[in-house]
Amino acid sequence: MANQMTADSRAELGALRAQGGGRIVDALVRLFVLVCGVFVVVSTVLVIAFLAKTGIKGIREVGLAQIIGHVVWKPEAGLFGGVPLIVGTLISAAGAVVLGAAPAVFAAAWVTDFAPKSLKTPFRRLFEITSAVPSVVYGWLALSYLVPLMDRLAHRLYGEDAQVGGEGLASAAMLLGVMIVPTVTILSLDALARVPQSLRDASAALGASPLQTAFRVVIPGAWRGLLVAVFYGFARAAGETMAVQMVIGGARQLAPNAFAPTTTISTQIVMDMQNAMPGTPESDALYAMALVLLVLSSGVVLITRGLSARRSL
Amino acid sequence: MNEARPTPGSSLALHTRRGHGTERFILRALAVGALAIAAAYAFALLFLLVRGGMRVVSFTSYATPLDGIEGEERMRFGLAATLFAAAAWAVSSSAKRLVPSLESRAGRRGSRAFIALAALVGGLFVRDHLPRFLIALPSETHAGGGVGPEIFNTLYFAVLSTAVTLPIGVGAAVYIARFAKSRPFVSTVRTALDTLASLPSIVYGLFGFLVFVVEMKAGYSLIAGALVLALVNLPLVVGVAEEAIRAVPRELEDGSLALGATQVQTVLRVTLPHAWPGILSALVLSIGRVFAESAPLIMTAGTTISRSTAYSLDPFRGGETLAVHLWYVNSAGLSPDKADVSAGTAAVLVILVALTNVLAARIGRLGGVDPGRRAARATR
Repeated sequence: MANQMTADSRAELGALRAQGGGRIVDALVRLFVLVCGVFVVVSTVLVIAFLAKTGIKGIREVGLAQIIGHVVWKPEAGLFGGVPLIVGTLISAAGAVVLGAAPAVFAAAWVTDFAPKSLKTPFRRLFEITSAVPSVVYGWLALSYLVPLMDRLAHRLYGEDAQVGGEGLASAAMLLGVMIVPTVTILSLDALARVPQSLRDASAALGASPLQTAFRVVIPGAWRGLLVAVFYGFARAAGETMAVQMVIGGARQLAPNAFAPTTTISTQIVMDMQNAMPGTPESDALYAMALVLLVLSSGVVLITRGLSARRSL
Repeated sequence: MNEARPTPGSSLALHTRRGHGTERFILRALAVGALAIAAAYAFALLFLLVRGGMRVVSFTSYATPLDGIEGEERMRFGLAATLFAAAAWAVSSSAKRLVPSLESRAGRRGSRAFIALAALVGGLFVRDHLPRFLIALPSETHAGGGVGPEIFNTLYFAVLSTAVTLPIGVGAAVYIARFAKSRPFVSTVRTALDTLASLPSIVYGLFGFLVFVVEMKAGYSLIAGALVLALVNLPLVVGVAEEAIRAVPRELEDGSLALGATQVQTVLRVTLPHAWPGILSALVLSIGRVFAESAPLIMTAGTTISRSTAYSLDPFRGGETLAVHLWYVNSAGLSPDKADVSAGTAAVLVILVALTNVLAARIGRLGGVDPGRRAARATR
């Protein structure tokens, strides 16, 4: 559109300038871009304010102690204990980082320093595309192929008659791990590429082997960027909604083990929002949980930003 | 995006010096691990395409009759035209690679005419013989449901949300990069963008539900979903557009200013045309995210397709996208063939997303490879 604006307004501009009217266009364009800048700020404030207003109303109605201290989430009985939700979110996201982050970082390290050159671009392209693949597609793949597998594994571990199944934290963590690998890999590739070549050369000149250079110079040199990549993966895993909803089982309880159905904050919001009337305590409590999720994820993002702001390389 | 990457091993040929014993073993293990991960993802993509593609081709029955739906004919024409134009484009670009003499002005014109002709012929004569999965209405209870309206809604969402993101995103980027005078305000805008980018998508959904669906009484509607998606994409578009604007060579702008142009004229005629490929690739990427997003749309645009308004352009009707459909079929669908429907939907979705990615990379490279022509166009 900006391009068309240029083309269309070219003739107009010339005419206006001839009449000394260029100032009006000038002022209008300046006003427009200023309004756009203000719009960004206002809309952000609005999003946070609406969420905070409703969320705080929910916390007032229910009580903070119940939301972060009780273990029974039962909106129809007026019980809003958020512990199962919070625990589910944290464990599945942490599990995803444990399963997904290390392989991603090591793969990126190998590709940066050891892979044949012809392999680098395809590798990056592959992970760019897989990181853009919709999360529901991952969720569906996990639902149809991972969950049955985990079901068999669970029964082998706990015995045939045990109350365990494929849906649960184990599947959710594995799914999220698979989902964050592409993102973490790409961010790690960027971080490792930012390590100056001179450091690698110096290390080699001191007699270090390539592997020593990679593990003692390149990776420590990029640790901040790598940490940012991992935190970013955690934030994505904690905020993920639909894919997790498909494999976690949706039972509003603390999971006794990794193979029992449980729930996460975002999953519960999507499920309960469909039958909560806006304005009722049920709905307000969900906004309160969203506020908790927001605090969790923006805490992580703040740490990330602090780390990347002091990036000196 | 196009920053110069140091090429490891360029000066000391690091990777020709392999280590010994344990080191060699560790290196080999790393290589096997990295390649195994890449192979797994590549295999998963391929599997999605093949399994879903088979379903797309082999669907044979319509669950619901298609006649009497407003706009259905037009949609079919558009789909056939697009498919055939894409095929013709693929043919003509590979022909160009084989016969270099086609890379002339006449050759380009000829290939353009060929593509247009193929689109027209395909649209007119093949529209009744399209893969049925792509045009049939979805079905919750019977086998044989398709994703026609979902494809339409997905693309329509892309158009609606881009119509909001483009002017506001580019405007804000121009403001930050060129017009802003006060530093505190610029850093406020930046913080706002960072905050927006860090919000979990479910939070956008709750916001959209509260504001657009409930307070503004729009109900579950495409416009509510599109506005939420525009917000989701704003940080990406502003960020990339700002980077592209800042990358415009200072000399070009100074030259324009020295010729007596005002700052606004310089931005409109020199800076933006020059930064355009970068902005465009950001837009294409953001469209990819529109295709992929599901949670905010479930809460703002609903999960239903209504037969009477399946292809209506009215933005105040509700409707689901491909991603939402994929979720809905698996969580609430009762149709006996939901595994097949999911596979087909996932394949269409993956193709769309991969296309946007490839396109964005291509356009982005357009910005880096040939600055001479763009500079010429910008300063003409």
